Amino acid sequence: MLFLFFLQMIPSDLSQAKEDGNGVPANAKRSKPEDQGEQDAVLRPVKLSRTELYKPPTVEELNQLKEAESLFHCSLLKMQMEELLKEVALSERRKKQIDSFVKTVTEALQSVPSFPKVELGDLSWLAGSVKVPFIMMPAENAGKFQMAPPASVDLIGSYPLGTCIKPRITVDLAVTIPAEVLQTKDDMNQRYPRKRALYLAGLAQHLSSSAEIGSMRYSCLHGNRLRPLLLLTPSGKESSNFTVRLHACLPPGYFKPSRFHPQRNNIRTKWYTESPEPPTPHYNSSVLGDMLPRAHLQFLSAVSSQCPAFAEGVALIKVWLRQRELDQGAGCFNGFLASMTLAYLLSKHRVNNNMTAYQLLRNTLHFLATTDLTETAITLARKPDSTAPSLPEFQDAFQVVFVDPSGHLNLCAEMTECTYKQVQHEASLSMQFWDDATVNGFHALLMTPKPLERTSDHIFQLLELVKLQASCKKLKLLSELMDHSGNYVRTMLPYILSLLQQGLGQRILLLTHSLSPDPEWTVEAEPPKHKAQPPLSFGLILRPDYAASVLERGPPADSPKAAEFRKLWGPRSELRRFQDGAITEAVLWTGESACEKRLVPRQIVNHLLQLHADIPESCVRYVGAMMDDVIQMKESLKVVQSYDDLSRKLWRLEGLPLSVTAVQGAHPALRYTQVFPPKPLKLDYSFFGKEKSSRSLLPKEGKPCPVYIEPITVVCHMEGSGKWPHDRVAIRHLKAAFHLSLGELLTKEHSYTCRPCPTHLDVWKEGYAFRVHVAYHREPQVLRESVGPDGLLVVRDNEAAQALELATVHRPLLTSTLHGLQQQHPCFGAVCRLAKRWLGAQLLSDDIREDAADLLVASLFLHPAPFTAPSSPQVGFLRFLRLLSSFDWRNNPLVVNLNSNDSGWLAPPRNDFVAGRDSLPVMFIATPSDKKLSLWTKREPSVQMMQRAVMLAAESLKVLEPQLKDGTQIQDVKVAMRPPLDAYDVLIHLLPKQVPLLKQAVDPPLVVFSRGTEAGKAGTPGGAMPVIDYNPVALYLSELRDSFGDLALFFCDPYGGTVIAVLWKPKAFKPVPFKVSADAGEQAHSVPNVEAIVEDFSVMGKDLVRSVEARTERWSV
Amino acid sequence: MAPSTKKHGAGNACIIPGGFAVLSLKFSAESDTQHKLYVKEHRVRVEAKTHRPLDKTLFVLNVPPYCSQAVVSQIFSRFGAVVSVELSDRPGTASVPEIKLSNIFKPAEKQGFKVAYIVFRKAKSIQLAKSHPHNFPLVISTEKQPVTTGLQKWAEQYRKSIILPEKLQETVDAFMTDYDLRKEEKEKKQEEEAEEQKEDEEGWVKVTRGNKGTKARPHSEAANQKSLQKEIRKKKRKELLNFYTWQHRNTQKEHIADLRKKFEEDKQRISLLRAQRKFRPY
Repeated sequence: MLFLFFLQMIPSDLSQAKEDGNGVPANAKRSKPEDQGEQDAVLRPVKLSRTELYKPPTVEELNQLKEAESLFHCSLLKMQMEELLKEVALSERRKKQIDSFVKTVTEALQSVPSFPKVELGDLSWLAGSVKVPFIMMPAENAGKFQMAPPASVDLIGSYPLGTCIKPRITVDLAVTIPAEVLQTKDDMNQRYPRKRALYLAGLAQHLSSSAEIGSMRYSCLHGNRLRPLLLLTPSGKESSNFTVRLHACLPPGYFKPSRFHPQRNNIRTKWYTESPEPPTPHYNSSVLGDMLPRAHLQFLSAVSSQCPAFAEGVALIKVWLRQRELDQGAGCFNGFLASMTLAYLLSKHRVNNNMTAYQLLRNTLHFLATTDLTETAITLARKPDSTAPSLPEFQDAFQVVFVDPSGHLNLCAEMTECTYKQVQHEASLSMQFWDDATVNGFHALLMTPKPLERTSDHIFQLLELVKLQASCKKLKLLSELMDHSGNYVRTMLPYILSLLQQGLGQRILLLTHSLSPDPEWTVEAEPPKHKAQPPLSFGLILRPDYAASVLERGPPADSPKAAEFRKLWGPRSELRRFQDGAITEAVLWTGESACEKRLVPRQIVNHLLQLHADIPESCVRYVGAMMDDVIQMKESLKVVQSYDDLSRKLWRLEGLPLSVTAVQGAHPALRYTQVFPPKPLKLDYSFFGKEKSSRSLLPKEGKPCPVYIEPITVVCHMEGSGKWPHDRVAIRHLKAAFHLSLGELLTKEHSYTCRPCPTHLDVWKEGYAFRVHVAYHREPQVLRESVGPDGLLVVRDNEAAQALELATVHRPLLTSTLHGLQQQHPCFGAVCRLAKRWLGAQLLSDDIREDAADLLVASLFLHPAPFTAPSSPQVGFLRFLRLLSSFDWRNNPLVVNLNSNDSGWLAPPRNDFVAGRDSLPVMFIATPSDKKLSLWTKREPSVQMMQRAVMLAAESLKVLEPQLKDGTQIQDVKVAMRPPLDAYDVLIHLLPKQVPLLKQAVDPPLVVFSRGTEAGKAGTPGGAMPVIDYNPVALYLSELRDSFGDLALFFCDPYGGTVIAVLWKPKAFKPVPFKVSADAGEQAHSVPNVEAIVEDFSVMGKDLVRSVEARTERWSV
Repeated sequence: MAPSTKKHGAGNACIIPGGFAVLSLKFSAESDTQHKLYVKEHRVRVEAKTHRPLDKTLFVLNVPPYCSQAVVSQIFSRFGAVVSVELSDRPGTASVPEIKLSNIFKPAEKQGFKVAYIVFRKAKSIQLAKSHPHNFPLVISTEKQPVTTGLQKWAEQYRKSIILPEKLQETVDAFMTDYDLRKEEKEKKQEEEAEEQKEDEEGWVKVTRGNKGTKARPHSEAANQKSLQKEIRKKKRKELLNFYTWQHRNTQKEHIADLRKKFEEDKQRISLLRAQRKFRPY
């Protein structure tokens, strides 16, 4: 259910912007008291006194100004970074809390009692309810264990380094297991990991008696079940502030690092199953990782003491990673890796010690963007000892290689190739928009969260992870399974990824997957099973050029690669002969319409998973086209073809007194963005009444309203000439004359049915209605000119001239520009249509008009940062809602750079904007051809409606995004398209029979009315002129607005809505002084006569209105 | 009719401050609710001579949207013969167009509540209307003369919007011939004036009081602006920049002032964003 706001209760953030004619001044008055508090939420032009501006600068100030000018784009970015760092840094008070808690924990740990030595399997010493955080599979294991006080307890990780940031403060505490607990050969066959788990359980048991500790839970490091952790939070109200993680570690140097060479085996297969001895790199690195944390800390503190901005730089990188959901979960690029990367760059002198945090971030991103760790391995080890493995050996064992200073451990052991590619993709994307002046770089870089469902064009989830166990068997991955100690999800993931990568190939830019979060469980519970984690989500970023191709063309039949191709595609692969004569292997997917073709990746994913991994289609929840049925995806290509034909014919007409200089389309259908593109119609003449003399059809009384034929506007520019009169009325007549002769010629030469009017010419052609407007380029100028009383020729802008210019100059220009955009981004039109359908369904389409909505969507494609341009309607729509709801409309103009080559024009509007904010439109959209006016949003939306749109968008997002993310929810996008009606004062219900666009409703009714159309191909030219542009609902609405516009607002879904919602303006029923000079309608209603008005609603809409539901309880007169 | 109403005690005319009389109005005999019309004699001396004669014009406020001229005239004809009805959006002098336009070319009228100026044949009718008791509502749509609204009205409107091409052609032609004639006349007049201002054989120019004629081109605001700009540009070209030390110093000063201003602006934005908690990356 969506929330609704009442006009009476508007948070006054925006309401002080202006009081336009449509707005509600009384409301602004009422909310004045709150306004005072929010005054500072608005940018005001800066005023500095002369003395302040021109006083002699100090050296310090000069330096500061210079630095801001040279190092940063502007001082703004510098200040923003500083603010951000302030926000994420830990406060002194917090640090004190942490220190004291760590002290208590350390003391408690020192007093752990000793227990006698027992067999490893014997858990009798572990009294109480504490369980061991380890899945003991296989169960039997030889060895002795003994609980003993730790050898030492040290702080490690980000907290001592000062790189710890909010939120989710974690303090890592390394508890060194004393040597007497361990045995030689403990590294074999999971004996050490088990001992570690037992030791942790022992610690947990001891700590459970401590009063200072609030809660204790188990987790594991980066999702690795071999490395359990004990999470402690303080008791009392600080409990949620931070978490202390206890790592049980080996004493440094207890085992020889060379024993954990990635090509050595440390789990005997005989112990696990029976077969030869494969290497166990992942197991090895997990044990090895336990020996090194102190060494790493030393290394990093040495580095950071050299470089003053190190901690801040790492903090920025961590924020950046966090916004991209890369910093947590299994195989993540965590803060520790970020520190190590920065340390690597410092050691290689890619950055120097004096750089600021901003520069460190920039250089790190540049490094990540340009270095592919999956191809070239890097190492921090200066002089690795001879036993250390070589880089190629690491590369054999791991997908991503980044070797630590000791030279033995791969820091990226758990990371999949796809995750690193994602990091790389994000980094290079960030570098691209960093310097782009049209984008708010800081915001896109560090402040915008990029969840998977808003980033990826298509998303799918693997629902039943337990199925992966069988897939492991099918793919014969037993040794890998052993290496991952039975975690089949982790084992399968790289295989699934490489399979998909291979199959999707060119179609995708990037394949990403969610990092499964670290499991957490209470100390009293058994560790959760491997399958007990949220479903794995995969995201695809598509390449629009290839993604929708139905054909997968493989190698020629006789080439050696053909076998490989056949293996990948299985029975779907077949030999095909192509037009160029080649006979190759190929796979053909099904897909007729563009909307079906868009789902080819889904067919591929389903097919490959089924074929190779035995994952049935039912386990794959693919979300790629959840919005499509709302707008009944049909492409409007035919209209455009028909229009092209008409335009050619208009060009070629001969016998006109002046020639045609240009024919331009000025209608959404001609830029592929009309919500329901017109279909060619064939009419049933018997349905209509007839006007004999002009051969026109008429709506017939007693029948349902005839089908609505929307005229498609076409502007036809005529040559300028001295013959054109210099008089506005005469021009109008001359244009009428042109309409007449154009119509005559079109009828004569092409036998189209035409109907000339003074303002336009209607042409009925191939089942479409075109409305041709003749335009004369100097007419706006003529409308602006007037001769003053002293004979001076005055040029004054006026509404008529603006409206004419909008219709004949700006709209055609916008149409052709957006048409071009559609050619670059095939799903632009679909996103526009979805967005406008939503606006219509939420009764907002009279406030955010079509052109404005198209521009908003265009901005998503032209300035996608920090995302890539959307390649599926669904993700585009989500980002549209996000833009609408989160953009700071009050303080920023939305810049849409329609001709992307030129970006120099953007700087100046900024200052004008702040200075003139109060007089500018609420929603300000600046384009290259319109920098200062915001043509398309000049009149609407009003402050209140804008606020409502923002709120509705936010609520819709809240409903839709969980549907994508959460596999258990039903997908029903229509929830976001059903407007809440309980906040309106009067509801006017219409007769469905008389609503011509009924079929387009969000929930189309079951009853279908005949509206005078016939099935079959739209016919031959000629015939009677059909009923064009006759929509009773629209006529009724305009009549209502004309009559009662000053008392109430009227809302209706233009796409088949059968309800008109009425909202009284707050001041409507206040007694108004009786004045003749005021507006006529208003002054007569000193107190409006509500009953009469409500009756007028039904009188004026006779035969269209079914009932008027006045909710008298909602208002009082 | 008026005498009959006087019989009822309650049937008094209701006069509100401002001198308006209130008349009730309902759509049809079955309607439950009533609109109020406010009527008053129209007394504007300036307009006395025009089409709104001083004593015979009734000024009506709050005419509902479905009342056309014909309907209003029909309703008020019970008070006496109606000469003309003029409906407009707001009260005030009616602007009489210079050129008479055919109906086809008139811009579409705004629907909504209107004011009416009703001219009666006799002055007596005004008093009759003003004293009409307010609890006897006037009825708009009677069985004899129904007023169409809603679907029927729109269908009718649509039918009327269809103009025969021949008729349109005729209208356009008529207008254009008229326009050409007027234009020719004007040109002729200007030519004559120009003729008058020419030197005669002896070199004399006749100076008249009237329009300066064609010789002085119709000057425009834009042209004035342009020449002014030209002057300024010329001046600027002659100026030397960064030539004297003080000039150089000034530029530097300006630069620093600029940076400062920008700095201040940025500071303001930052504090605004901070207030909105825009720096929390979570």
